[in-house]
Amino acid sequence: MRFRTPFLFALALLAYSVSAQSPQLHFPQRVEAGAAFSIPTSGSGAATLYIVGPGGALRRKIQLGTSLAFGADDLPNAGHYTAVLVGGSSTQSGQFDVVPSKPGRLSFLAKPSRLPVNRATGISGVVYLFDRFGNLALDPQPVSFDLSDGSGRTQSRTQASRNGVAWVRMDSAVKAGPATFQASVANVREKRIVQQVPGDPCSIRMTARASDQKVVLETDPIRDCSGNAVPDGTIVSFTETYQGSQSTVDVPIKRDVARTELPAHNGAVISVASGIVMGNEIRWNGGL
Amino acid sequence: MTIRSKLSSLLVVPALAVLLLSSTSQTAVHVEPMDSVGPRPIEAQTRSSIIRDYLAAWQCLNQATLQNRPDLLDPYFVGQARQTLGETIQAQQNLAIRTTYQDTSHNIRVVFYSPEGLSIELLDDIEYDVDVHAGQQALGSSHVQTRYIAVLTPTESRWKIRVFQGGVS
Amino acid sequence: MNRGFWLALLIALATVALVVAGTLWPNISATGTADAQAKLLGAATSPTGAVNNLLQQIARHNWSSAYATLANKSEFSESDFTRDLTGNYGSLRTYAALDGYDVHPLRASSDEAEIRATLHWASVVGTFDDLRDLHVVRSGDRWQVQWPVVKETRVPPQVIPVNYLRWDVIYRGAEDDWGAQDVEAPHVRIVAMHPVDRAGQVVIMGEILNEDVVPAFVTVKATLLGSNGNAIASEDSFDKISHILLPKQVSPFRIDFRDVRLSQIDSVRMQPFSTLVPASADPVIGIESQTLHPVPDSSLTGQLVNQSGQIVNVAHVIGTFYDHSGQIIWVADEYPSRALLPETPVPFEISVPADVSSKVGSYRVIASTFSSSRFQ
Repeated sequence: MRFRTPFLFALALLAYSVSAQSPQLHFPQRVEAGAAFSIPTSGSGAATLYIVGPGGALRRKIQLGTSLAFGADDLPNAGHYTAVLVGGSSTQSGQFDVVPSKPGRLSFLAKPSRLPVNRATGISGVVYLFDRFGNLALDPQPVSFDLSDGSGRTQSRTQASRNGVAWVRMDSAVKAGPATFQASVANVREKRIVQQVPGDPCSIRMTARASDQKVVLETDPIRDCSGNAVPDGTIVSFTETYQGSQSTVDVPIKRDVARTELPAHNGAVISVASGIVMGNEIRWNGGL
Repeated sequence: MTIRSKLSSLLVVPALAVLLLSSTSQTAVHVEPMDSVGPRPIEAQTRSSIIRDYLAAWQCLNQATLQNRPDLLDPYFVGQARQTLGETIQAQQNLAIRTTYQDTSHNIRVVFYSPEGLSIELLDDIEYDVDVHAGQQALGSSHVQTRYIAVLTPTESRWKIRVFQGGVS
Repeated sequence: MNRGFWLALLIALATVALVVAGTLWPNISATGTADAQAKLLGAATSPTGAVNNLLQQIARHNWSSAYATLANKSEFSESDFTRDLTGNYGSLRTYAALDGYDVHPLRASSDEAEIRATLHWASVVGTFDDLRDLHVVRSGDRWQVQWPVVKETRVPPQVIPVNYLRWDVIYRGAEDDWGAQDVEAPHVRIVAMHPVDRAGQVVIMGEILNEDVVPAFVTVKATLLGSNGNAIASEDSFDKISHILLPKQVSPFRIDFRDVRLSQIDSVRMQPFSTLVPASADPVIGIESQTLHPVPDSSLTGQLVNQSGQIVNVAHVIGTFYDHSGQIIWVADEYPSRALLPETPVPFEISVPADVSSKVGSYRVIASTFSSSRFQ
């Protein structure tokens, strides 16, 4: 009885002081990146607020009981943050998320950058959507894909993004040449150039004529099976076999044809090939 | 997908989970089956390597933010993720604070493997403990349960995280 | 005087003594050639002695002294003699050193003799041999060599237009801008592969095709895997491949693994590698008169003809040998020692193992070239 009253009084005093001085945080659960916001605080006295997360680290010295304002550039990186308020002899922590804003940038991966013509679903396009701060924009968005080739033909697809990504597959054109591949969402666009190159030679046909003591070999214009000219520089191999010996030469196509000279041997068998495509054979009888 | 690869995938993922559960860090890891991930089917070797590299990245992050050394991020982070984390560590250095991110459990689901094989996206329902220190003084700690989204891209020797974002709803 | 002074004096005296001894009684190793049988220069009192003296002069690059000892020097100039040995136009010979030689008398009489000399030249791509049958004649009390000079063709000064296609590449910068446009590596494909056991090693041979429309720098790496999936060994094709492939060009490759048997291997992982490089479709090399010689010669010979106007400093010839069913059974190569001048045939000879030679049904030869202005 002698000590109970002062003890109870001290306890009440302690409870009052704690309730009067403990800091309080009232963070919103979600904040949009790049948006200014403020949070109210309660309590009294000075305190220090730390905000940490993989996306950033901040420190503010605040006066409890006033609102704490954050500018548009304070928390640009989306992510999960932990707030720690250190005031007096106590700390309090809270958590909140910074969420991405609307898409402002695309990462557009168009592969391959070069492929043969007439390849079904040969071209793939993948788009990752980012806001202007580089955060992955996760809200579903319609993404338009357009592939235009030199003949004026355009393939268009629209895909809704999921988890910040959208993808599509397109066919390569019949006609060789550069194609423009564009991805767009709202008013954000990215373009890529896809080179559609001729395929393997469809057939290789050569002719031979005598010239002094040599045989001049020349192919017809070499085209792929879609009619595109096989590019200059493509190697064509000529082989001449005679009496247990042979002569070969690898010649680049120039202006659609491959041309060379080999020593003339009566009875020689001359063949032509490019890569794994074989052409015709000629038996040389002196040009007769 | 052939029967052999289906069987191997059925074995690889639970085996991986068991292996990771028994690691010295006692981090619980669950990985959802990857059979239905598209558009590109995930190769058996890729399935194990992306999980291995993703979990190693968390260890790497913990050490980097504890020691305030952005160079420790280089083995597992690249591009925007590396840049953002590096700036965070720089900010911590300026504030003379250190943080630790001790992951205690992962529930990982791969949601996208791009057609040309150059990017993989996964969602991770993760639990971790955050501790904030200023010098020797502990400022505060928190237990976090959130969802992370990560995009990994292949490099010469491993998959690296290019997009690393928490707070995903 | 202290101990340091006496030590310095002793070292100085020893140095002088050793220099005098080395001058008066030089070691055989000072001859400048690796031939164990090489002797110091002496009087050419025998056919073999005359040949030895000549070859040692050649090894030391004493062209004037070597030329002066010849019996037939009136038939050609000293520069012809020098060019015969050192090559011209920056060929392999130009940068080769005589590593040694073998001398084998063929016949001899009192006044003349025939000696076969095999000169072993060391070059940057390995050794090559130069076989010369030397006629040696007695002149008074000494013997002299008649050198069988090989006169290199001189191309007359002229302008030769070159208008073959050339590719250049503009690469993306070093900045990591994920998703930015880039040119990707050429598409190459291994179209044939055949592993064999040979002489205590595993040899993997095959062919690689550039199926793209751009030139490619290629190499092939192979990893041997055991039954447990672990890698036993890993090697690449090194120079048994033509590294620059123009569009639709095919190159053979050969990868050798020492101290491994095929029975140890469960599977092989092949990794072709290709990258975009600037290249030219010039020069065009004709490979004429290819002839396979059976045992005992067991070789493939032919001639390289540079059909373009640019001089080729070094050529690399690779032969692919197929059996009668078309499977690759051997890949071998050779570097001709002379430069390829325009329209001037240069012979080559690729050695083929005797056991392979008997199984060859067909073959294919390609040539890659190096010019000092570029590599192709």
